[in-house]
Amino acid sequence: MKLPIITLAGALNLPASTIERWIRQGRIPIQRSGTSGTEVIFSHAALEKWAATHNLPFSLTGDQAEDLLPETLESLVSAMQRGKVCHRVAGDDAAAVLRSAVDRIDFLSEEIREELFEKLMEREQLASTGIGNGIAIPHPRDPLSRPPETPVITTCFLEKPINFNAIDDQPVSVFFILISPTVKHHLHLLSRLSYCIRDKAFVSFLNQHPDAAALHSRIAEFEKQLDDL
Amino acid sequence: MARLFKKLKYPGSWSLFRSDDRLLLILFAIAVGICSGLAALVLNRSLETMLEWLHHYRTYWWAIFLPAAGAALSSLFLEKIVNEGAGHGVPEVIYAVSRYGGLLRLRSSFSRLISSCLTIGSGGSAGPEAPVVMSGAAIGSNIAQAFSLNDRQRVALVGCGAAGAIAAIFNAPISGMVFAIEVILGEWSTMNIIPIAIAAVAGTEVSRLLKGNQIAFAHRDFNIHFNDILACVGLAICCALASILLTRALRSIHHVSKGVALPKWIRAAIGGSMVGAIGYFLPYALGEGYHAIRTAIDGEFSGGLVLVTVIALVKILTTSLTLGSGGSGGIFAPCLVIGAFVGLSFHRFLAAVWSSALWVNEGCFALLGMAGLISGILQAPLTGIFLIIEITGGYGVILPLIVVSAISTTLCHYLEPASFYLKDLVEQGQLLRPGTDARVLTDLSIQELLETDCICVHPNMRLADFIGIVKSSHRNYFPVEDQENRQFVGMIHLDDIRPYLFDPAMHHAVLTGQLMNTHVKTVSLHDDLSEVLQKMDEGRIFSMPVVSDNRFLGMISKATLLDQYRKELMVQTGRF
Amino acid sequence: MAQKLLHIFRNTPLGRETLLQSIYFCQRMGVLPTVYIPEFTKFLMYFENEVVQVDLDPSYLNDPDTAVTHAEQLLQKAKIKPELFTPKNFTASTLPDIPTSFEFMCCPRSISDLSSKIGLGYIGPRVRRIIQAARFPVLITSPVYKPWKNIAVFFGGSANAINALRLGIRIAKVTGMHLDIYTQVGKNTPSEYRAIVQEKGLEKPLESILGQWTFFEKGRFEDNLYEVPHDALVVLGAYGHGIIKDIMFGSMMEKIQSTISNNLLIAGPKYTMIG
Repeated sequence: MKLPIITLAGALNLPASTIERWIRQGRIPIQRSGTSGTEVIFSHAALEKWAATHNLPFSLTGDQAEDLLPETLESLVSAMQRGKVCHRVAGDDAAAVLRSAVDRIDFLSEEIREELFEKLMEREQLASTGIGNGIAIPHPRDPLSRPPETPVITTCFLEKPINFNAIDDQPVSVFFILISPTVKHHLHLLSRLSYCIRDKAFVSFLNQHPDAAALHSRIAEFEKQLDDL
Repeated sequence: MARLFKKLKYPGSWSLFRSDDRLLLILFAIAVGICSGLAALVLNRSLETMLEWLHHYRTYWWAIFLPAAGAALSSLFLEKIVNEGAGHGVPEVIYAVSRYGGLLRLRSSFSRLISSCLTIGSGGSAGPEAPVVMSGAAIGSNIAQAFSLNDRQRVALVGCGAAGAIAAIFNAPISGMVFAIEVILGEWSTMNIIPIAIAAVAGTEVSRLLKGNQIAFAHRDFNIHFNDILACVGLAICCALASILLTRALRSIHHVSKGVALPKWIRAAIGGSMVGAIGYFLPYALGEGYHAIRTAIDGEFSGGLVLVTVIALVKILTTSLTLGSGGSGGIFAPCLVIGAFVGLSFHRFLAAVWSSALWVNEGCFALLGMAGLISGILQAPLTGIFLIIEITGGYGVILPLIVVSAISTTLCHYLEPASFYLKDLVEQGQLLRPGTDARVLTDLSIQELLETDCICVHPNMRLADFIGIVKSSHRNYFPVEDQENRQFVGMIHLDDIRPYLFDPAMHHAVLTGQLMNTHVKTVSLHDDLSEVLQKMDEGRIFSMPVVSDNRFLGMISKATLLDQYRKELMVQTGRF
Repeated sequence: MAQKLLHIFRNTPLGRETLLQSIYFCQRMGVLPTVYIPEFTKFLMYFENEVVQVDLDPSYLNDPDTAVTHAEQLLQKAKIKPELFTPKNFTASTLPDIPTSFEFMCCPRSISDLSSKIGLGYIGPRVRRIIQAARFPVLITSPVYKPWKNIAVFFGGSANAINALRLGIRIAKVTGMHLDIYTQVGKNTPSEYRAIVQEKGLEKPLESILGQWTFFEKGRFEDNLYEVPHDALVVLGAYGHGIIKDIMFGSMMEKIQSTISNNLLIAGPKYTMIG
């Protein structure tokens, strides 16, 4: 096989100057090619064997390159659009409300919904997710055992405000239930959501229990501001 | 045609040898072994001729100036004609092996042969072995260079050359092999041992074909008793003392001679004439002295205890004078002579004190003394043991031999931590044996450890903007560069500015120029890694900026260093 | 990364001209000169697969007391921070090792023979070996300081000539000078030479800097060399064959260096482009 030395250095995850030195010192089964000096010849199988005996990583397929690409993080709106907007969610205490809220998430299977509820309760017992201004963001602490491929946010407007042990002791009337495939997604969405909630006008807008379309367009406005920042 | 020639010039790239070059190395090892064997024989022959030719003149009074003329000529030859430094060359070979993958000059393959022939042939007290080793090694290196072999293969061929030379000159294949591995390469791996063994065989075979299969110092069987083995401890102590004496004498005479403000060849001539004067009265102290060894081993040496001891001491003196003043040659043969006489004098001493006890023949002690001295000077016990067994053809003395070698090596190690060949290299910190810390650090360059994913900031940036950069970076260090001429002005370390990061009032009030550390220690691209590490340890820092010509190039950190260090060590010590 | 040029300083008027030449090159190219003031008449250069011992002509050691001041004066006048090289490693006590990791090296036409022998038509054997072994191009200066104002590349179509052309393009880009190409038409027609350049993807970089491409269609190469401007830096590639072949058949490098006294920048067979 003939490859530029830079590509090979990438495949072995080593600096190109190290590879050059090793070739010179004869520590790696690679030959320099021709006059240009920037290309190398090697046998793929021999190099693979060599890398394995020396505990070095070696992969030419370029999957490392994919790993290195920054993950494309979802926007808040698309996550919300994938979820649902539920009005008049009933219940007298935290557990009951969460129960009925989870039951409304009908795009998940029965089994997963059960797991979700348990994880949500577990998380609430640790510390309340009520972040003030009558808003709570219930979420499982760790991703579900079979998480959805993309993050989903379900917005629930409660029938009547309930006591949720929120940090400002106000009763809670809005839930954003966050289900994310990875912690990274989760933090990303959480930071975006908390940006929105800091806005007073948005809070009062939420208290009017808007419908899905109005909510999404409002959130999209916020996200535009965020992206411009 | 030209294509075929080109292909022949790069055998390393033939598909047959590409992934496994053992066969290639073996083929080259045969060639190198034959060449270095021939070189050894050429020196041996010309020495014999020269000795024979000069033999008639030894009786004249002016014969005392013969060694002077020889030493002066040899020094002039090295200085003016081939432009090489004096000395026996083995440290140079080891240096080239450890630092430059065994690159040696073509001229080294013959220069020492000629100069040592002049020195020894004229009567200087030195050995032909080290020059032959240097020639053999240079032959191996140049064959490797001609065929564009890589460093590892070249080093193996350098070892082959040394092995072939020693094997040929002593008719001793195992000693050649062990010497090359123990002293020259310092690395026992199958990759090296096989070609070196082959070269030793080739060298020995050449010598047997042309010189006949003769054992240099054949002897009769010895009847060794238990009390002899006990006495060996005493002999080993004497050998160790003699080795130390020789090393020190060599060094001090070298030192004295260096201080004399005369041209090198005159210094060599002065040393030579002193040797000549001594030799006029005590001819045993001249030349390589193989003849003296033969009589000693046969137990036919007639002198008494005093004479024998004096010969041993005088031989130490003449050797130091010859080599220290700038003559050319090795220390192997003088060591054997001194060892033999130390052994003899110890035997005479024993026989005088406990005359009732039954001692083995004095030849045996001469033989053991040789092993003791070789092991002590070279601090290579295996070489000493195998060499003596092979050149005397006596496996029967193996037990006392091992005892003497082991004790002598250990004792010498206490007083002189580095062996004769390695002392200069150790003093300069240039002994870089494969797989050692020093070697790994020398091989790695700062260029390879450079982390270039730092984001540069300029000094007129507000803290608020800087925080934006911090968010997008995954490093704790930020180099500060002047906006216009891109000169490096300082570093910002997140740890230093943490208190201000969370203080919004500061965000618009402070500039990065005020936050940076301008007295940061920097490293330049060509610094030695060991020095860089020392700097890091002294300052308790984990990373340092690399700056060249006032431009920031990247960071060097202990984390990356560990990563690369480990990989380097695995590749260096691992199986190929 | 700052590129460096190795200069071995000879403390004589001739050496001054050579250093001035190096400084001029460095200023144009934005390269830093590293000056080695020899303490011994010999040094070793360990290349990738070869070791070259350079035996200097004794005039390099002239008057060591003033050597440092002389060199520093010249550098300071050119507003360059003097960087003197001190060897770290020694093969033998009087035999220092000079690293080979420089980007350029400046050599007079001969380094080991007396300066009286240096003239046109003669490149010393050591300089030849450095050219053969080095990964860096070697600047061979004219005997007296002579600034150059444009670049002349000799292009004969071989792989080495391509390397030399690349080097020439790089220099022209950095210095902002224009580049002329000279070709002695041999087996190929001018359009074939152009095709080679095109094939190697060098046409585009040449567009903005190429002054003219002169083809010598007739006459002896040596005679045609009169066309080359006196104030051009001549860039050429050297071949890998040995001295004997050079003497027997003559190479372009031999003809050029023995005919014109311009500064020469020679890319040897091992030359590799950096960056």
